[in-house]
Amino acid sequence: MINISNISKAYNGVEVLKVEELNIPKGQNFGLVGNNGAGKTTMFSLLLDLIKPTTGEITNGDIVVSQSEDWKPYTSAFIDESFLIGYLTPEEYFYFIGDLRGVEKSEVDDLLAGFEDFFHDEILNQKKYLRDLSKGNQKKVGIVAALIGNPEVIILDEPFANLDPTTQIRLKKILSELTQQKQTTVLISSHDLMHVTDVCKRIVVLEKGEVVKDIKTNEATLKELEQYFSQ
Amino acid sequence: MFKRFVSLQWKQFRRSSYFEAAIAIKILIILGILYFGGITILAGVGGYFILQKAFPEVDPLLTLNQYLIYWFLIDLGIRYFIQQMPVINIKPLLIIPIKRKKVVQFLLGKTATSFFNILPLLFFIPFSITLIVKGYHPLYVTAWFFGILSLVFLNNFTVYLINKTNIYFFLIVGIVLVFIALQRYEIFDITAYAQVFFYGMYSQPFWVLLPILLMILAFYANYQYYLQHFYIDGAISKKAEKVKVLDLKFVDKFGKIAPFLKNDIKLILRNARPKQVLLTSFFFLFYGLFFYTMDVYRNIPAVMAFASIFITGGFLLTFGQLVPSWDSGYYKLMMSQNIPYREYLKSKLVLMIFAVVVSTILSLPYLYFGWDIYKLILAGASFNIGLNSFITLYGGALNRIPVELNVKAKAFQNTSGFNVTQLLISLPKIIGPIIIFFIPYYFISFNAGIITLALSGLLGLIFQNQFLNLIEKLYQKQKYKTIAAFDEKK
Repeated sequence: MINISNISKAYNGVEVLKVEELNIPKGQNFGLVGNNGAGKTTMFSLLLDLIKPTTGEITNGDIVVSQSEDWKPYTSAFIDESFLIGYLTPEEYFYFIGDLRGVEKSEVDDLLAGFEDFFHDEILNQKKYLRDLSKGNQKKVGIVAALIGNPEVIILDEPFANLDPTTQIRLKKILSELTQQKQTTVLISSHDLMHVTDVCKRIVVLEKGEVVKDIKTNEATLKELEQYFSQ
Repeated sequence: MFKRFVSLQWKQFRRSSYFEAAIAIKILIILGILYFGGITILAGVGGYFILQKAFPEVDPLLTLNQYLIYWFLIDLGIRYFIQQMPVINIKPLLIIPIKRKKVVQFLLGKTATSFFNILPLLFFIPFSITLIVKGYHPLYVTAWFFGILSLVFLNNFTVYLINKTNIYFFLIVGIVLVFIALQRYEIFDITAYAQVFFYGMYSQPFWVLLPILLMILAFYANYQYYLQHFYIDGAISKKAEKVKVLDLKFVDKFGKIAPFLKNDIKLILRNARPKQVLLTSFFFLFYGLFFYTMDVYRNIPAVMAFASIFITGGFLLTFGQLVPSWDSGYYKLMMSQNIPYREYLKSKLVLMIFAVVVSTILSLPYLYFGWDIYKLILAGASFNIGLNSFITLYGGALNRIPVELNVKAKAFQNTSGFNVTQLLISLPKIIGPIIIFFIPYYFISFNAGIITLALSGLLGLIFQNQFLNLIEKLYQKQKYKTIAAFDEKK
């Protein structure tokens, strides 16, 4: 589904990301781990064509992301709060995203009904603007909004951060279910090694912008990762 | 302790975005400050002689004191509109061992350095010196000066007490307008009564005690208020607002652009900065009163054409120049969604055109100045709708300053968005209508000028698609630059 070849990104001559080849097949649950500054957000920003690669290109479903916008209808993402519109209520925000993705209001309502547990009565009908919600609740809104319109590719940057334990566990379930049909490709990054090994079928470790490990998740993966990061 | 606060504030100022700007802009800003400062000082020095010349029979100090009431009220109104409590980041200060009193005192003291307090000083200090040189009693002049100074600070502190609701603002503006009207039609002259007080501060200096006392009271009221509310959920922090539910079903009629239009309407109604723009554009309506009543301008139709653009174009210019900056807070979202730029732009365009139409209707009272003037306004509106809208949107795309939606703009804040491209792009907005009007006016007639100006708007409607394509291309070309610029934290 996603093909990264020879991609690199440099700021003022300093290379922050350099990935020669990385293929993410359709339906994979893909995890990206690495310390701060390893290049995770840079990679996601490149995938979404928010920054321009210095060299190389990324294709998303055979479309080169920096050349055409045709990948957008089937791709969605939540990277940070700059993906939220602060002066809208959560409902208005969901409907707006629905409008952009061509999803009827009633369909959005159906989707939201399925996330009642996840929202834990703190999101809908609260009569609050998004800018006034707590960080954790903002994140919940952003994640669910990224699921509107059955996207084929979902990109979430640190989805577990700021969430309470109950929501983290619920989110893990949601993310695992998404890829069960092998139709949706999910890319997440995380600092939580346990969550990422629980959810992802494949984990790539970035360090200083380069891929240092590419693991197919198994029982030993968590140990391997912990060992790597405690060096 | 105060020294530390000052150094913190200095760092905040020194490292703020204006100073990170390019050297050329820095020079322009400094020149701007010098210019305004210089003009004010000159006015202070020359004010005495100007008043003497204007009203030769009356003591200039008496004349000035007569009209100070208006200055006082207008100053309050403008402050209300722009001045905001300087929020120092209080969270880190709450848990370290500093007395709360000290922080609040500093916070209030800091407001004294506001531009609104310094500008009057630049005027009244040289004015007072001139008075003394001219032989007025130095002691009495000093008393009068301190009286004025207290009034300046009285305004400064009053604003923070009343700016929690908008009612006071309209009250102040209303009072000013009523007084002006009453005076104009010679029913009641407030200035005669105000003069007794203002001049009294000079002739019988004990009057000075009144403003000083009021100022101290206002300071104390603020001090108490902020001391009591000095918590992170208190006065200094932002409050969660109640949601205003808007029924925008009627917008659905606009078809494809409806989602954007709904969003833009909410953007304007729910955020402080756009609301401020709305109010500013309302004031643009009164531009004509300034130009049409002065004989100097009345005889230069080119200047009148220029004024007509402003009367109907207030919202168009002030809102349009910040498209797409209005959406800077969530620009990454917009760019990762499948957003047709055209619909996005059209939604803004619809709002701008709607505002021009409303302004044109609201400017009907200008018929008082004659049919010719109103024709000019109509032609200006046509130019605004057809051409100016596209020029402004094009300029906005080059603007690339992140806008904090829910924070009011401060005086001089716009300087951060001031750059050479911006200057170049505003040229056609200003000179364009003058040239379009002036050439046929000069060679043919007044009416020919008006017709040409009106037709220029039609040109925009005919080439609408081409113009939109042009702006769309610009958006695409600048995409990465814009995202990076909007990402910069203030």
